[in-house]
Amino acid sequence: MDKVIEIQNLSKLYPNGRGIHEINLDIYQGDIFGFLGPNGAGKTTAMKVMTGLIRPDRGDVRISGYSVIEDYEKAMAKVGCIIETAESYPYLSAFDNLKQAARYYPGVDHKRMDEVLELTGILRYKNEKPRKFSLGMKQRLGIAAAILSRPQIVILDEPLNGLDVEGMIDMRKLIKHLAETEQTTFFISSHLIHDVELTCNRIGVVYNGRMLNVESMDSILKNYATLENYFVSEVERNGRVPSRAS
Amino acid sequence: MAVFQAALLNEVEKLYKKKKAFVAIILSLSMIVLGQLIIVGVRTGFGVRGVGSAEFPILVLSVVVNTILPLFTALVAIDSFSGEFSHNMMRITLTRPVSRFKVFSAKVTAISLFILANLLLLLVFSELAGFLFNANSASFGGFARTVLAYLVSFLPMLVLALGIVLLANIFKSGISVFFLSILFFLVFKVLGVFFSSYASLFITTHLDWYNLWLAHSFPGWKILRQLLIMAGYGIMLFTAGFYLFDKKEF
Repeated sequence: MDKVIEIQNLSKLYPNGRGIHEINLDIYQGDIFGFLGPNGAGKTTAMKVMTGLIRPDRGDVRISGYSVIEDYEKAMAKVGCIIETAESYPYLSAFDNLKQAARYYPGVDHKRMDEVLELTGILRYKNEKPRKFSLGMKQRLGIAAAILSRPQIVILDEPLNGLDVEGMIDMRKLIKHLAETEQTTFFISSHLIHDVELTCNRIGVVYNGRMLNVESMDSILKNYATLENYFVSEVERNGRVPSRAS
Repeated sequence: MAVFQAALLNEVEKLYKKKKAFVAIILSLSMIVLGQLIIVGVRTGFGVRGVGSAEFPILVLSVVVNTILPLFTALVAIDSFSGEFSHNMMRITLTRPVSRFKVFSAKVTAISLFILANLLLLLVFSELAGFLFNANSASFGGFARTVLAYLVSFLPMLVLALGIVLLANIFKSGISVFFLSILFFLVFKVLGVFFSSYASLFITTHLDWYNLWLAHSFPGWKILRQLLIMAGYGIMLFTAGFYLFDKKEF
């Protein structure tokens, strides 16, 4: 399979000593990659570097073969993402928010905008402004904007934030559907470990800014009862989580 | 170029939909109405001539370039940068396939278009008001000079906007930037009075440079000197603003 994301010796250290250290990771086309780690492990930092929101101290990220540091526009041409929170302009309607994103992609028309609003279940609110939206609706709009351009790679930081159970199920279905039908690659971080288990096919665990392990979900579930057990075992080996699940 | 056009279109749409720019333009126009009412009042109440058709637009310009135009330019520039920094809205644009240079340039261009639109509307309405109330002194030569004065006023206003953009990229809070902009504006105005021999170094002095273009004996060298100073300031402020914007972490 083709490598679509290559993370090479990625380091970013904040003044408080936290950050990421020498992260190396390859993501292949069609992967639904779950990026797990405790709070403050460096997940969001890594994702921010991947999407050009912060610059690394060392290392590089190549997306579709292009460096995000040297060739940002080409690297991001086939990427959709949500980092930390799904942001939108509160004074523009949901549709106008999508229109802002659509202008960067020549093939995206009004029909496609309606299509993603339908896929994320907010088509009937298309003319309403996000300032009136609930957290879940804002999240749905963010996801609609992320998949608007039919990206080959979707990077989602806590995509299920604020979604109700129905929303989570819908989102899981949507991710699996896009991965199967359009070979979209997903790079997802989430605290909802059960949901990651149901959605992802490869897992990477980051702890204290370092990549601990990367394994396929199949091999994890062969050796552990649940993904949570695997995660606890990985982190425990590095001296953080007291043994509670076995 | 297509990516820059998309970024510019987005910035213009945001400016338009936020309605702040619209309110700024309405308030600018109300200055004309107020000015004309004062002139009519002075003329009828005290028998003073006031200003004629050609002078009224210049009178309006002399007031707005030192008051509301810098104020609204500051508001729009701060909103475009600090407003988006503080609500993480900058991420919406920066995670799209567009370089930071293009985003920065598009924002500055949108602010420039706002200044230009505001100046042109003021020109049209002040000309109309001058013509309606004091048609006796209207002439084509006077009109051409007025158009020139309004057009050249764009340049110092743009340099001022670039200074505010730089401040917005240094300080986190939009309110701090706003008050600092006002403070710097007043300080430069006062310094310009007390150190008149160095006045041309202060950008606030250049706000009145349209007067040079109206002089009967055309001061070409003086205009060129001021033009080069403003161009120098503009390039330095743009570069410094972009440097900080490019280094920013979101």
